[in-house]
Amino acid sequence: MLTAISAGSVYLVNKARDDNKWVVHTIEVENQVNSLLLEVRRAESGARGYLLTRGDEFRADHEKAVAAIPPALDKLARQIGDNPEQRNSMARLRAAVDTRLEQFSREMDFVSRNEPDKATALVREAAAGDTTTTIRDTAEAMMREEERLFAQRTLNADRSQTLAASLTGIGSGLVVVLALISILLVRRSAQMRDEAEARLRDANLNLESTVDERTADLREANDEIQRFAYIVSHDLRSPLVNIMGFTSELEEMGGDIFRRIGSLTHIPAGGSPVAAADIGDIPLEEPDKQLSQDFSEALGFIKSSIAKMDRLISAILNLTREGRREFEPVRIDMRELMEAIASTVAHQASEANAEIRIGELPDITSDRLALEQIFSNLIDNAVKYLKSGEPGEITVRGRTKLGYAIYEVADNGRGIDAKDHQRIFDLFRRAGTQDRPGQGIGLAHVRALVRRLGGTMSVSSELNQGSTFTITLPIHWTASKRTGDR
Amino acid sequence: MTQPVTIIMIEDDEGHARLIERNIRRSGVNNEIVPFGNGTDAMKHLFGADGSGLVQKGNALLILLDLNLPDMSGIDILRQIKENKYLKASPVVVLTTTDDSQEIKRCYELGCNVYITKPVNYENFANAIRQLGLFFSVIQVPPAAT
Repeated sequence: MLTAISAGSVYLVNKARDDNKWVVHTIEVENQVNSLLLEVRRAESGARGYLLTRGDEFRADHEKAVAAIPPALDKLARQIGDNPEQRNSMARLRAAVDTRLEQFSREMDFVSRNEPDKATALVREAAAGDTTTTIRDTAEAMMREEERLFAQRTLNADRSQTLAASLTGIGSGLVVVLALISILLVRRSAQMRDEAEARLRDANLNLESTVDERTADLREANDEIQRFAYIVSHDLRSPLVNIMGFTSELEEMGGDIFRRIGSLTHIPAGGSPVAAADIGDIPLEEPDKQLSQDFSEALGFIKSSIAKMDRLISAILNLTREGRREFEPVRIDMRELMEAIASTVAHQASEANAEIRIGELPDITSDRLALEQIFSNLIDNAVKYLKSGEPGEITVRGRTKLGYAIYEVADNGRGIDAKDHQRIFDLFRRAGTQDRPGQGIGLAHVRALVRRLGGTMSVSSELNQGSTFTITLPIHWTASKRTGDR
Repeated sequence: MTQPVTIIMIEDDEGHARLIERNIRRSGVNNEIVPFGNGTDAMKHLFGADGSGLVQKGNALLILLDLNLPDMSGIDILRQIKENKYLKASPVVVLTTTDDSQEIKRCYELGCNVYITKPVNYENFANAIRQLGLFFSVIQVPPAAT
């Protein structure tokens, strides 16, 4: 819109300039007409003066004026070339002037030929004739026409100027209005942005408090689970004591009963049954013997199951207890720690024909007991699950990366199938051939410890290709990082 | 023993109570055993209706205490016994499933005389109780009023 207004303004200003030019042109035309008339008059008066006085100065004056007339006429003709009406007048004027000039030359001829009478007559004739009048009238007509044009063109010019002025005014007004609208819009958008920022800030604060809340909830839930596991495992123990106790009592009673049966069925010929206490080794008869064996077998299963259940419950209890233990970060010489662990499994290792090699290990700040448990579990596992009939090679090595220490415990043992890589970290889950004693607790425990120490662990292994357990731990662990996570 | 010692057994699990009693008897201890299945009854017996403990004045007691009771914590009972002027000299044997070191420490701090964990393994359990019985047969228990 502003462009349109600017274009309009430029156009109108140009138009006003044009109009003004035309006004000036009109004035110039008027001037030219006047100067032409003046020259004609001069020529006339020069001719008359010459006629009267025969003064050469008059003659020169006349000739100068006559000489000036045709150029003036031509110039006038050029100037009014745009106006057909004026062109007609011009033609008439030119004819009249030509006639008059011809008269002048005749007059001058007569005068120079010393025939003043004829010249005088000619002057009179010319005065009486309408040539002069025609010149005057035509010139006046032209002047009128030019005046009319002048008035009209002045008006036009005024109008153009007024239009240009008002258009400029409107343009300025529009600019002001647009500026106001822009300011309003900018201010509104700024306000909206401020509001959005405020909302964002609020949302951030909310988010933080939400995260805090959730964290607190999670901690609470975690504590709850710990307590729950503790109570459950603890309370499960109590009935287990009874089951085990009375099963054992039953076992003893069973022994008594079968001894008694034995004594009753083996009545020595001709005598009374001997006292039960003295007949412990009396063989039972075949069906009774079978019964006794079944009885013992049933009790044996019950007892071994109870023992297993007790071990599981103890494991859970230990895990929850471990989860409650406060960790204390201290500087640890990892090489020393690994060597100590290696020496504790040295016996098993030599039995399994295995060698434990300890490579370069970065020292870290962490909880000593937790690290001992982590690595002794891993090295213990490595020794435990070697391939039979092949010398074992267990390598412990480490490196640092971006504030973390990475330790690897690698063996050339039986390996773990890829589908079991997750499973082995689950509580009570084991993988591969079940030919070694164990509860399926070690790795679950190790992973829980690593997590509490702010680290991660992973395994890479293939069946029969050995396993590598990788532990990543922060080099400078501070207990405060996870104080609430107990 | 100048005076027969009464064994007060506070144990909510009847099975446990039975097993404990049997094994004590097997070890040759024939003292009277007064069993209680919950804390409230035991407290009433020990401290009397007025809660002063005066009812036990002059009696020689040995208290077998389980920590996990349905109505109250065995630790509370232990504390009250050890704070009562008539009962505080009576030996208290805590016999419970809890083997939490914090708990054990707490009991000894409160004045418990012996802390025994009930093992699930019956052999060990029976052994522990029998040894406790032997201990009972040699222990000198002062009368409650001092």
